[in-house]
Amino acid sequence: MYSPRDIIEVIAGNVRKTRSPFAIPRSMVNTWWKKETLRSEGDALLFTGLMYQFIPYIEKSTSYLEKYEDTKLASLVRFAKYQPKRLSGIGLALMTPGEKKKQANEILRNIAKVLTRSDVDFYYKPKLDFYSGILLYDLGDQESFVEHAKFVSGKLKRAGVKKIITVDPHTTYALKVLYPKYTGESFEVKAYFELVNFSSSNGGGQVTLHDPCFYGRYLELSDAPRRALEKLGVKCVEVRNSGTFTNCCGGPAESISPSLSKEVMERRVEELRTTGAPIVAMCPICLGNLRKSGAEVEDLSAVIARCA
Amino acid sequence: MTLVHPEFAEELDRFGVDTALECFNCGTCAAICPLIYEHFPRKMVRYIQLGARDQILEHPEELWRCLHCGLCTQTCPREANPGEVILGLKRFVVDHWRRN
Repeated sequence: MYSPRDIIEVIAGNVRKTRSPFAIPRSMVNTWWKKETLRSEGDALLFTGLMYQFIPYIEKSTSYLEKYEDTKLASLVRFAKYQPKRLSGIGLALMTPGEKKKQANEILRNIAKVLTRSDVDFYYKPKLDFYSGILLYDLGDQESFVEHAKFVSGKLKRAGVKKIITVDPHTTYALKVLYPKYTGESFEVKAYFELVNFSSSNGGGQVTLHDPCFYGRYLELSDAPRRALEKLGVKCVEVRNSGTFTNCCGGPAESISPSLSKEVMERRVEELRTTGAPIVAMCPICLGNLRKSGAEVEDLSAVIARCA
Repeated sequence: MTLVHPEFAEELDRFGVDTALECFNCGTCAAICPLIYEHFPRKMVRYIQLGARDQILEHPEELWRCLHCGLCTQTCPREANPGEVILGLKRFVVDHWRRN
């Protein structure tokens, strides 16, 4: 286990200085939209919160944490806070394989495709797409979270944003529940799969959904992806612990204790595998963590986009 | 020797912890917690009830094992909100670190 204090100070320092937990410049992280034809005006803003874009960087940084957990070198993490933020962020970005970045970008392209197919009046502005700060909240650094959340909500409010479409459970929870509570700013927030509005005969087959804790319990949105898949003719084969009683993938512990994260993840994967159906996730943290088991896990957006 | 701080539960109010005293220590939270670890989170809630502030501060890192998955909060028969209690304790400890 790493010292939570060291990890919090590194992440909080990065967010304070660069608005990113990994200190990677936004122009390097957020590139998925460049080959897309997306409108810059419309009814609802597509807000990715950068979490899917972070998947390859999370994978890279946690591979180092895994390697040095409970060794003498683990205590060196405390010195990371003294490194020049942007320089270490760019270093991490350069060490992260391009292929992984492409895979993460593909998920967001699929989501844009699904929204277009559903005739949703949405727009995208990379300048308004920020990390929500949710990790600071989960780690208990309330002061840093609130400071960052006020910065993001202020940008959105000044841009006249009223409706937001989100793509991951953590950002959805932050914008829908935490921002009104801690920044005083409210938006009409919907997860993209709540807006799926087409049927298709291209579907078929079956999947086992892994409900993330935030969609399953905190936001009680588990029915929405199931309704969307039903319209597409995809059958959901349930495990016992699903919906409001879903089990955690272990991902939230990966920065503090990769070994604990792995232990929880392996139990969950074992349960998900019992159905024999392909496993489908709908959260970047769950997706990255469940894949560490070697299991083939697909993102929900890919399943829906195949039918679009 | 452990000092007891009877005002500890009140002190935690400003960190968003206001349900710990609802707990009657049934252990449902510890039974359902995916950590399967030493009566966690029940033990931490009990420390609050006893005013065992120093126990929390002596081994604060244990709090960060919590995945904030919410299963304990979902199943708590007393609506004592153990998941949010743990999050509030993290806030209390971070504040303590920053001030010291």
